[in-house]
Amino acid sequence: MQKQQLEGRQRFDVRMLFFFAATPIFLGLLAMHLLQLQWLEHEKLALQADNNRLNIVPVLPVRGEIVDRQGKGLAVNRIAYQVQLIPERVKDLDVTLKKLSGILQWSPDKLANIHKRIKRSRPDRPILLDDKLQWLQVSPIAARLHHMPGIDVEAGSYRQYPYAELTSHLVGYLSLARKSDTDEGFLANEFVGRTGVEKSYEKVLHGSLGYQQEEVDALGRRIAVNKRTPSTMGQQLRLALDAEVQQAAADALGDRTGAVVVMDVHSGEVITLLSQPGYDTNRFITGLESEQWQEWLNNIEKPLLNRATQAAYPPASTFKVITSLAGLHAGAHLARGHTTCPGYLELADRKLRCWKRTGHGRVTMQDALIRSCDVYFYELGDQMGMEEISDAALQWGLGEKTRIDLSPESRGVIPAHRPYMMAAMKNESSKRKKWFRGETMIASIGQGALTVTPLQMARMTAAVANGGKVLKPQLLAGVEPEVLHQASVEPRHLKTVQKAMRGVVEKPYGTAHRALANAAWKVAGKTGTAQVIQMSQDDEKEGYTPEQILRRHQDHAWFMGYAPYEDPKIAIAVFVEHGGHGGSDAAPVAAAVINVLAAQEQEQAADK
Amino acid sequence: MRLLRGVDWILLMLIICLAVLGMVTLYAAVHQGDVGLWQKQLTYWGIGFAAFMVICFVPLRLLGLISWPFYIVALLLLVLVPLVGDVQMGARRWLNLGFFNLQPSELMKWALMLILASWFATKEPRSLREIGTALLLAVVPAALIVNQPDLGTTLVLLFAATSMFIAAGLPWRWFGLAVIAAIGSLPVLWHFMHDYQKQRVLTLLDPQSDPLGAGYHVIQSTIAIGSGGLTGKGFLQGTQGRLHFLPEQHTDFIFAVLAEEGGFIAVMFLLLLYISLITRILMVSSRAHSRFASLICIGVASIFMLYITVNIGMVSGIFPVVGLPLPFISYGGSAMVTMLAALGLVMRVSIESKDRIPWQRPGSPLS
Repeated sequence: MQKQQLEGRQRFDVRMLFFFAATPIFLGLLAMHLLQLQWLEHEKLALQADNNRLNIVPVLPVRGEIVDRQGKGLAVNRIAYQVQLIPERVKDLDVTLKKLSGILQWSPDKLANIHKRIKRSRPDRPILLDDKLQWLQVSPIAARLHHMPGIDVEAGSYRQYPYAELTSHLVGYLSLARKSDTDEGFLANEFVGRTGVEKSYEKVLHGSLGYQQEEVDALGRRIAVNKRTPSTMGQQLRLALDAEVQQAAADALGDRTGAVVVMDVHSGEVITLLSQPGYDTNRFITGLESEQWQEWLNNIEKPLLNRATQAAYPPASTFKVITSLAGLHAGAHLARGHTTCPGYLELADRKLRCWKRTGHGRVTMQDALIRSCDVYFYELGDQMGMEEISDAALQWGLGEKTRIDLSPESRGVIPAHRPYMMAAMKNESSKRKKWFRGETMIASIGQGALTVTPLQMARMTAAVANGGKVLKPQLLAGVEPEVLHQASVEPRHLKTVQKAMRGVVEKPYGTAHRALANAAWKVAGKTGTAQVIQMSQDDEKEGYTPEQILRRHQDHAWFMGYAPYEDPKIAIAVFVEHGGHGGSDAAPVAAAVINVLAAQEQEQAADK
Repeated sequence: MRLLRGVDWILLMLIICLAVLGMVTLYAAVHQGDVGLWQKQLTYWGIGFAAFMVICFVPLRLLGLISWPFYIVALLLLVLVPLVGDVQMGARRWLNLGFFNLQPSELMKWALMLILASWFATKEPRSLREIGTALLLAVVPAALIVNQPDLGTTLVLLFAATSMFIAAGLPWRWFGLAVIAAIGSLPVLWHFMHDYQKQRVLTLLDPQSDPLGAGYHVIQSTIAIGSGGLTGKGFLQGTQGRLHFLPEQHTDFIFAVLAEEGGFIAVMFLLLLYISLITRILMVSSRAHSRFASLICIGVASIFMLYITVNIGMVSGIFPVVGLPLPFISYGGSAMVTMLAALGLVMRVSIESKDRIPWQRPGSPLS
C-alpha cells in the first residue's frame, strides 16, 4: 500500500514536469507564429493596413474660363454651396430639418422628399440636401454649424454662361461624363465639353487632376487628409469673339432666324459667330429636363443647329462675286464686254428670268454686280462653263471645310465635288445625270445645287478683301494667322470686283445702297436673295401651321461684305433664313454690326 | 495571521501586472468608442477581486464536500437548457432566472474540475472501471454543451478533464488511445457540426476565400498584428483598431489591439506574464498539502492555458474562430469574475499548504 502510494507521488511529480515543460513550449510556439507575422510578414501586412485605411481620392481641377476679346466672361466658374447631412450624427432630425427648411425656404414637398431619402439611406453616409446655393443663402447655416451637428456646408464650383443664348453655339456646353467618357479616363462626377469651344478645347480647358490621400475608417468615412497634390486649373481661353458685336448682330436680327459671321480679314479671327435662335446652355449644367431637350430637338426653328457652320444654303446673288472672278480669270470675253438684259434669257424651250422682269438694259460686269443682273451672269457662266466656276469657288474656299475649331462642320456643296457631274460635263459617262447648260447658268447666279455656310461666305469675303488669302478662321484671340491657300487671282481682276462691290453700296442704284450708304465705315459688299423651293405637301405632313408654311416659303436673305473699303479690317456675312431680300433684310444687320465696330475703333483711338 | 503568511505574493503581483496591462489595452480598444466600458471593466476587476478574497477564506475541505452536489445541480441545469433555455445568437445556452441570465455550461466547467479533483484525490485512473466512471463524468456534460452549440466551452471542458486525467496518473497508452479516438471521431464531429462552425474551420484553412464574410475577422486581426511589427505603432496609434477595421476589438479580438500598438515587445511581455502565471499555479500545485488541492490547481492552470492558446491562435489566424476571451485582457464581467475566483482557489491552496509538507512526499512524516 505504502509502496503504491509512493509510486503515485512519484508519478505525479513526473507528470508535473510534463506540465511545467508544456507551458513555455506551447506559448513559445505561439510566440514564434507571432514573430513570423510581426517580423517576417510585417512589411506585407503593414502595406495591407495602409491599403485598408488610405484612399487615393482625385481632386477635380477648376475648368479654365472662356472670355471674349474684351475680357468679358462667356463661360465662368461660380462658387456654389451644398448642404449635406449625416443622419447618425444629427441629434434631433426633425428639429434640424425644420430649421434648415426655414433658412433655405424649402417647399413642403421638398421637405417630405428629404425625409423619405434620409429614411432610405445609410445613417453613416452624407446625404445631399440642397445644392447650387449662394453664400447669402447658406451663411445663416454656416454661422450655426456648431449648433447643428451632422450638418455640413461644402463649397464647389459650377459652370455658368452669362451670355448663354447669345453664344450658345460658339461656346457650347458641358454635361456630366457618360460611360464613353469614363472609358477615356474622365471621372464620373466630371463635366465634359459637348459642343462648341467647350468641346474643341476640352484638353486645354480641363486642367489636370490633383490627388489627395485620405485616411478612412472601416465604414469608408473620411477621418483625415494626409497628403495633397493640388489640381491644376485649366487654361483661360480668350476668344476672338466680341460679345458686344455679337449682341449688336443678335439685336439687329431680332427674332428672325439666321446667322451672322464677322471675321478679321487679315488674321482670320472670328469676331462674331452668331446663330439664331440660341438656347440656354445653363440648363445643361443644372440638369436638363428631358422635356426641354425634346422641345429643342423637335422645334422647327432648330435652335440646336449652328447655322453659321453646320448648315449650308444657296448663296444666291452673293455668288456672282465668284462668277465674276472666274470669268475674269478664264478670260471670258463677256467679262470685258457687255450684254443686254431684256429681263430674261431664252434657252431652248425655257425662259430663264432675271429678278427684274423689265430688264436691266445694257450691262457691264460692274453694272451687273451692282444691280445684281441675272441675265449677264447666265451668259457669263455659259461662256466659260461649269468647270471654271467650280474651280473658282474652290479657290476662294467654298465647298471645303474652313477648319474652324468647331465640329461638326458642313462643307457645303460645289457641284465640282461630285465627280459624276464633272464626268457628265465632259460627256465621258452619263450614267447618272446629264449636266445641262441651264444648270451651269443657274449655278452662275448661286442657285441650284450650290450651297455654302455663312462662315464660308465670310471667309470668302475676307479673301476678296485681303487679296486672295483663304484663312483658317481663328476662334482664339491673338494667335498666328494661318493662310490655308491663296486664290490665284490677278490684282487688277480683284480690283474690278472690289470696285463693283463698293458700287453695290455706294451707287444709288446699288442693291445695298439704302442699308449701308450711311454706315460708319465705307462698305463693299453684295446682297443675295435665295429662292426657296419647298413642297407644300411635305409641310402639311409635318404639321406646320399656315403662318409657318407661309414663312417657310419666303426667300433667304444674304449680305456679304467687308469694311472699311480702302483699308479692309473685317469681313461680314449675314444670312437671314426666310428673311426676304438681301438688300432690305440682311444688309441692315450688317450696317448695325459695322457701326458698332466703327464706334469701338473710335473709342480705342480716343483712349490712346 | 496564518492566512496572511500563506499568501503567494508572486501570484498576486502577476495578477496586478495583468490588471494594469489589461486596462491599458482595453483603453486603447475603446477610447474612441464607449469609454464607459473601461469604467465597467474596472468595476468587474473590483467584483472579481472580491470573489478572489472570499474564496481565499473557504476551506478546501468544504469544497470537497460540496463537489458532488454542485456537479449534480450543474448537470440538472444543463439538462434544463434545451428544454426551457433562451436562444441568443443562434445558440441555446442561457437559463433565464429572472434577475440574470445563467449560463449552466460556465458552472459546469468549475463543477467538473471539482468533481474530477475529488474523484482522483483518493485513486489513480489505472483501471478500466475508474477511467470509465471519470470519463462518464466529463463526457456527459460535454455532449450536452456541444449540442447547445458551444464548441468553445466544450473544448475547455475536455481539455481540463484531459489535463487532470494526465496529472492524476492516466497510463500514457490510454492517453494515446484517446488521442487516436479523438482524431478518428473528427469526421463524425464534422458531420454533427453546425454550418457556422464548419464555416469557421473552412475560413481558417483559407481566410481569403471569404474576405468580407467569415474571413474578415481573421484577415483584419492578422493585418493588425503583422502591421504592428516588432515595436508597435504606439499607444492609441493603431490604425486597424482606431479606424474600426478590427471587429470585436475590446472582447475576443483585443489581442490584435495589443499586438498592433505594442508590437512583438508587448506580445512577448504578455506571453511571459502568462507563462509565469501558469508556472506559478503549477508550483502551488506541486507544493500543495493534498492531492485534491494539487489537482484543482492543475484544472485551473489548464483552463487558463486553453483560453490563452485558443484566443491568441484564433486572433492570429491559426485556430478557428471560437469565442474564448483572453484572460484578464478581454472586456467582460462574468469571465473576469470566474477567472479571479479560480485564482482565489489557487491562493487558498497556497495558504492552506503553508508550513505543511506536500502530500506523500517521500520522507514526510505523514507518509
